[in-house]
Amino acid sequence: MAQRAVWLISHEPGTPRCGTVKFSRRYPTVEKRASVHNGANYVPVPEDGPFLKALLSELRLLGDDKDFVESRDSCSRINKTSIYGLPVGSEELWPVVAFLKNDMIYACVPLVEQTLNPRPPLISISGISQGLELLFGIQDFLYSGQKSDTELNTKLSQLPELLLQACPFGTLLDANLQNSLDNVGFASVTQPQKQPAWRAGTYKGKPQVSISITEKVKSMQYGKQDIADTWQVVGAVTCKCDLEGFMPNVTVSLHLPTNGSPLQDILVHPCVTSLDSAILTSSSVDGMDDSAFSGPYKFPFIPPLESFNLCYYTSQVPVPPILGFYQIKEEDIQLKITVNLKLHESIKNTFEFCEAHIPFYNRGPITHLEYKVSFGQLEVFREKGLLVWIIGQKFPKSMDISLSGTVTFGAKSHEKQPFDPICIGGTAYLKLHFRILDYTLTGCYADQHSVQVFASGKPKISTHRKLISSDYYIWNSKAPAPVTYGSLLLTLEAALCCKRECRQHPRAKS
Amino acid sequence: MGPPSREAWAQRLGAFRASPCAFLAGPQGEDLGRELLSDLRSDKLSEQTKVSLLALSLEYAAQLWPDAPAAEAAAASLLDTLVLLPPRPSALRRPLLLAATTALAAGGALGPASGAACRLLPLLLGLALGRDLGRGFGPASEQRPLQATACECLRELESCQPGLLRASLGPLRAGLAQEGPVQPLSLLLALALHNALALQPRAGAGLQGLLTARVAAAGDSPWSWTLAGDSDVPFEPQAPSWPEAEEGARGLLALELSPEESRELRATVAQLLDASYLLAPVAQAQLLWLLCRALRGLRGQPPALFKPQLVRLLGTAHPGCPAPGPAPPHPPLLPPLPPELPRKLSAGPRRRGGRPAAARAPAVPRPPAPALCTSPQPSLARLHLLCLLCAEDTEEDDRGQGGSPQRYLEELLAGLRQRAALDGGPRAWATLCFQASYLVAHCLAGQPAVLTPLVRGLAQLYRARPVLAPHFVDLLDRVGPELGEPLRVALCREVVSRPGGDAALGWHLQVLARVVGAGSQSATLHFLQAAAAHCPDWGLQQALLRVCRALLGSGGGGGLADLLQALARWLEDPDGRDHARLYYVLLAHLAGPKLGLALGPSLAAPAMASSLVAENQGFAAALMVREAAAPMRLSVGPRVATGPCPVLQLQVEALEPAYSLELRFRVEGQLYAPLGAVHVPCLCPSRPASPLLLPLQPRRPAPTRLHVQALYTTPAGLTCHARLPPLTVTFSHLFLPFPQAPRGAEPGFFEELWDSCLPGGAESRVWCALGPQGLETLVSCHLEPFVVAARPPASYHVAIRLPPDSKLLLRLEAPQVDGVPVALRTDDWALLPLAADYLRGLSAAA
Repeated sequence: MAQRAVWLISHEPGTPRCGTVKFSRRYPTVEKRASVHNGANYVPVPEDGPFLKALLSELRLLGDDKDFVESRDSCSRINKTSIYGLPVGSEELWPVVAFLKNDMIYACVPLVEQTLNPRPPLISISGISQGLELLFGIQDFLYSGQKSDTELNTKLSQLPELLLQACPFGTLLDANLQNSLDNVGFASVTQPQKQPAWRAGTYKGKPQVSISITEKVKSMQYGKQDIADTWQVVGAVTCKCDLEGFMPNVTVSLHLPTNGSPLQDILVHPCVTSLDSAILTSSSVDGMDDSAFSGPYKFPFIPPLESFNLCYYTSQVPVPPILGFYQIKEEDIQLKITVNLKLHESIKNTFEFCEAHIPFYNRGPITHLEYKVSFGQLEVFREKGLLVWIIGQKFPKSMDISLSGTVTFGAKSHEKQPFDPICIGGTAYLKLHFRILDYTLTGCYADQHSVQVFASGKPKISTHRKLISSDYYIWNSKAPAPVTYGSLLLTLEAALCCKRECRQHPRAKS
Repeated sequence: MGPPSREAWAQRLGAFRASPCAFLAGPQGEDLGRELLSDLRSDKLSEQTKVSLLALSLEYAAQLWPDAPAAEAAAASLLDTLVLLPPRPSALRRPLLLAATTALAAGGALGPASGAACRLLPLLLGLALGRDLGRGFGPASEQRPLQATACECLRELESCQPGLLRASLGPLRAGLAQEGPVQPLSLLLALALHNALALQPRAGAGLQGLLTARVAAAGDSPWSWTLAGDSDVPFEPQAPSWPEAEEGARGLLALELSPEESRELRATVAQLLDASYLLAPVAQAQLLWLLCRALRGLRGQPPALFKPQLVRLLGTAHPGCPAPGPAPPHPPLLPPLPPELPRKLSAGPRRRGGRPAAARAPAVPRPPAPALCTSPQPSLARLHLLCLLCAEDTEEDDRGQGGSPQRYLEELLAGLRQRAALDGGPRAWATLCFQASYLVAHCLAGQPAVLTPLVRGLAQLYRARPVLAPHFVDLLDRVGPELGEPLRVALCREVVSRPGGDAALGWHLQVLARVVGAGSQSATLHFLQAAAAHCPDWGLQQALLRVCRALLGSGGGGGLADLLQALARWLEDPDGRDHARLYYVLLAHLAGPKLGLALGPSLAAPAMASSLVAENQGFAAALMVREAAAPMRLSVGPRVATGPCPVLQLQVEALEPAYSLELRFRVEGQLYAPLGAVHVPCLCPSRPASPLLLPLQPRRPAPTRLHVQALYTTPAGLTCHARLPPLTVTFSHLFLPFPQAPRGAEPGFFEELWDSCLPGGAESRVWCALGPQGLETLVSCHLEPFVVAARPPASYHVAIRLPPDSKLLLRLEAPQVDGVPVALRTDDWALLPLAADYLRGLSAAA
C-alpha cells in the first residue's frame, strides 16, 4: 500500500513535447520493496523525460487527431479504468495510475506487493486506490479556491513540502493536503490532548454552528407516452462549526414531516463517529420497504475546522416541482414553439428566481421572433440563439403559464453559434433554473433546538434550507431525446454527483 | 574552496533532476553525494537550501549512495548532522530523520552490523514513544511532529524488514493508550502486529508477553534482527496474493494462539479500532486493511470486532478503501452499495412495469449535453455493464415495451453514431462510437436481434460520413464473423450503390478494398468502371488498383480482366499502368489460389510470396519432377468435322488443382505426324474446363491410339509428371467433309467424285442393318456433315474426305425394312475394310 513515484504534468498541446513535468517525487525505499516483490518482472521507474513521452503517448495526448492512428483509435483498444501500462525500453511499467483534469495530468505508480506475472487483479492492489486518493488530494489542493496561474504556481511550489508531510515514504497519511499545510505552520503544545488527525489546531473565538441543507432537484421531462418522465432530489447538509477545544462533540438531527418520503442513499462525512445501521438500510436501488425508517436521522461527529459536507442523501418525491411541456414545429424556415409550465400546488410559491432557458443549437442567429407569454417576460439573445423566459419570484394564481411564438434563424456560421452534439434536428430542450429559499422538496429540516453541542461555551446555532434546480430539462416532445435506462447508470451517477460536489466545495479555512 | 553557493546548488540540483543518470555519469556526478552530506553542516547555506538538498537525498538515495557501505556512511553522516544541530527550532530535524531512514533502507544497509542502524532505531523508538531524549534533541515545540515522523520512519523500516519491531509491540501499545499522536502510533502498531502474526510460527516469545510488555521485551534485543534478517520471505507478510494464494499462505502459517494470547490480541485490535475514527480516511483504510489481513482465519478473533467501524464506514462518503474506480474525472470511490447490487440492478428493469414513475428506482436522468460527452472511459464501462445486462436479459418478456435493455442499448448506440456522424466532430467521438460497437459485438455476438440494427446503423453512419472509412476497416479487422460478415456485405452494398464520381471516392475505395468479396463482383466492377473516370491523381488510382487487387484475391471474375486492360491503357500514371498490366497478366496466367499467394505475402507460404516459381523451403524438391497419379481424366469427345485437318476434341475432368499443365501425346505406330503438346494454365475441380482441341496430322487415314503424359505444377509449387490411360482415335475421327458444292450442283459434284475413284480405286457393297428409327436417323446421327446430295428419306449421297488425300463415297439408296444396301467407292483400296467395319459398327449401334 504505497507509491513508488508521483508526477504532475501540465498538458501543453501545440508545444514540441506537448507537456512539462511540473512536479515529481520518487520513493526509493518503496522502489526497493518493488524490486523484491516483483522479482524478475520488476521494471524500474524511468526518469521524467522518458516517462513523460510514454505517458502522453498512452493517453493520446501527443499531436492532433486528424488522421486515424491505429494504436490510438482502434476500436479494440478499450481501457475502462485509469490504469495503464507504459512501454519503458523493451519492458512495460505497470500499473500506472493516470488521468487528465484541467490540462493537468496526475500520475503515480503504485507498489504491487506480489508478483506481476500473471498480472494480479486491480482490486487486489491496495496501492491503486491509495494512489487515486493521493492524486485527487493533490487535485483538490491545487484547484480549491484557486483563481489564477500565479496561485497555481504558488501551490505547485508548496507541493514538495506538503508531500513530505502527507506522504513522506510513499504511503499516504492524509489525502487532505490542506490539513498538512495547516500543520506545517502549527506549533503544538507540549502535552496535547488526543486529537483527530483531520483537526489540526483549535478554534479561538465566539462559538457558533451553522447548518444548511441544500436540495438539488433534477428532472428529465419528455411529454411522451412511451417514455416516463424522471426526477430526483439530491440533498447535501453543510456544516461549519466554530467551537473551542480539541474534540468538541456535535450531534445534528435531520427531521422529516409526518408523511415525508424517507431519505435514501445516505453518505456521511468521515468525521461522523457512529451511525445507526437503520439509517443505511434505505437505498434507492433496493426494493426494501420504504416505511422502515423515517428519522430522525442522528449524526454525532467531531467537526473539522473548515466547512464540510456532513451528509448527502437522495429521496423519491412523488411529483416534480414544475411540470413542463415543450413542443417545436418546424415550418419552412421558422420554428413554432410552445411551452407550458405548471407549478405543483404543494410547492412553496416564492422563488428567489425562476427562469426557463430555451437554447437553439446548431442553427444560425435569431433574426426574427414573434411571441406571446402569459406571464413574465422574455429576453432574446440573438447571436447566441437563446431565449430566456424570466418568470420571476412567483407563479400566478393559476400556477399555469405558457409561452408561444415563432423563431426565424439566419445563416449558420460555425464559429459564432453554439454547437451541440445532442441537439441535432428537432432534438431540443428547455432548461429550468430556479431557487427557493427556506424550503426543501423532501421537507427535510434540521431543528436548531435539537442540535447538541458538547463544548465549552454556548454556541449560536443557525440553520438554513434551500431548493435549487440542477439539470432540470424539458425536451421537445416532437423529437427524439436522450433517455436513461432504469437505475443502472443513474445510481452511480447520483452518487458521483454528490462526490463531485464534495470536491468542488471550497474549503473555508479556520 | 568553500562550499557552493545557494545558486550553484540550485543549478546543480536542477541539472541532476533533469536527468539523474546523465548527471551522475558526468564530471560533477562523482562527488555529489559526498558534497551534499558535507554541505549539510555548512554554516553558509540557509536551512531552506539544506532542506532542498535533503529532499534530493530522499528521492535519489539509491543513486547517490548505491551500495550498502556508502549508504551506511551516508546514514551515519546524516545522524551526526542531526545530533550536532543546536537546540533551537530547526526545519532540518524531520527531513534528516527521513533521509537517514531512506539511506539505510534503500541502500540495503539495515542490519545488526550497521552502526548507523543501531543508533537510528533507538532514537526513533524513543521519539515515537515520547520519551525524554535529554538535552539537545530539539525544543519541546518540535516533539509532536518529530514523534509522528519517528513513527513513520519506524513504519517504513518495519515494511522493509518485517518483524523488526516485534519486540516493541508492548511499548507501542502502551504509547497509544497514553496521549501519543493517534494516527502514527496506530498505523505503526497495526503494521508491527500484522507482521508479528505473520511471522508468529517462527517467532520465539509468546504474543501475549510481547503485547503486554511495558518496555521492550526483557533480555531480548529490541530489534528482531534474526527474524527480520531472514531473506527467504522478507516481504511475505505484506505480500498476500489475491485471493486463493492467500488462503494457502495462511494455511501454511496456521496459527494456534493460546486463549490468553487470543484475549490480549483481541484487546489490542479493539484498542486500535476504537480509536480509528480519529484517523484520516486513508489511514483508516490502511488500518482496516492491515488488521483484516492480520486476523484472517485466526481463532478467537470474531469478525464482529469490526462491525461498528464497518457500519460507520459503510455510510461514509469517503471510505478511502475502495476498489479501483471507473475513471477520473469521476472519483474512484463508489458509494456504499448493498452487496447484492448486481442482481438487484438487473432486476430493476423487470420491476418497472406497473409502478408509477416516481416510485421506480431513482431514474435520475443523466444530464445531457455536454455531460453526455464526458470521458469515454466511464461511458464504455457503463456500456459494458449494459451489454452484460442484455446478455442476461435475452429472455426478457417485456421486450418491445420500451423497457428492455436491448432497446436502451440500441438507442444509446444510435446516439453515439449520431454524434460520430457530425461533420467536423472530434475523432474521439468516432472512436468512442466504434469502441462501443466493438464491445457490443464482443459481448452479444450471438444475438442477431442486437447485431442486425447495429449493422444497419453502421451502414447509415458510413453513408453519412464516409470519412470514417479507416474506423470501419479497423472494426472489420477486429470483430468476429457474426458482425463482420453482415457488416462487410452491407458496406459493400453501400459503396457500390454510389455514383463513381462521389467526392468521398478515396474513402469508398479504401472500404471497398476491405469489403469486396464473392457475391457482389459485377456491381463492384460496375462501380469501379464508373470510378475509374474520376481518378485523376496517383493516390486515387492506387486506391482503385488496390480494390482490383482485392478482387483478384477473391477470385477475379470475367469483367475484371476487361477493367484491368482498360486501366492499363487509360491511366495517366505509368506506375498505375504498370500495376494494372501486372494484375492483368497475373489474372490471365494464374489460378485463384496461386493468385492469392502471388498477391498477398503470407506467413503460411513465404516462399510463394517471394517468387512464383521457387520456394525457399525444399528448394531442391521444387526443382525435381515427381511422378504422381494423374490429376485429371481425359476422354475423347464428339467429332469436330471442320477445318483442313481432323481435330480430336478432348474432354477434361479435373480431379485436383493443377497449374501450368502440359499434355504430351505420342501416336502409336507412326501413322500420324508427331503431335504438339497442349498447354492448360490451370485446372480446378470446382470449375468446368473447356474441351481441348488436338489437331491430328495423319500420314495414313487409319485409326490409332495416343499415349498421353501430363506435366504440371501442384498448388504447393511442386512439378509432377503423370501417365494417363491411352486414348483411341477411331476411323470416323478422321472424317472431313468436302468443300461445299455450289447450290444445285450437288448431284453432279457427287457423280464426278464417284466416277473419279475408278479405275485406281475400289468399289464394294455392304448391307447396313437399320434400327427402328430408319435410314434418316442413321444419316443424321452419323453422316450429316458429309451428305452432298440427298432425297430424303430414301436416297443419300455421302462424300468423305480422309486426310492426307483419300476419299470415301457412299450411296445409301432404296432402304428396306431391316436395312439399306450401301454402295461404296474409294480411291484407296486399303480403306475398304475400315469403311466396311465402320458401317457394320453403325449397324450394330442401330
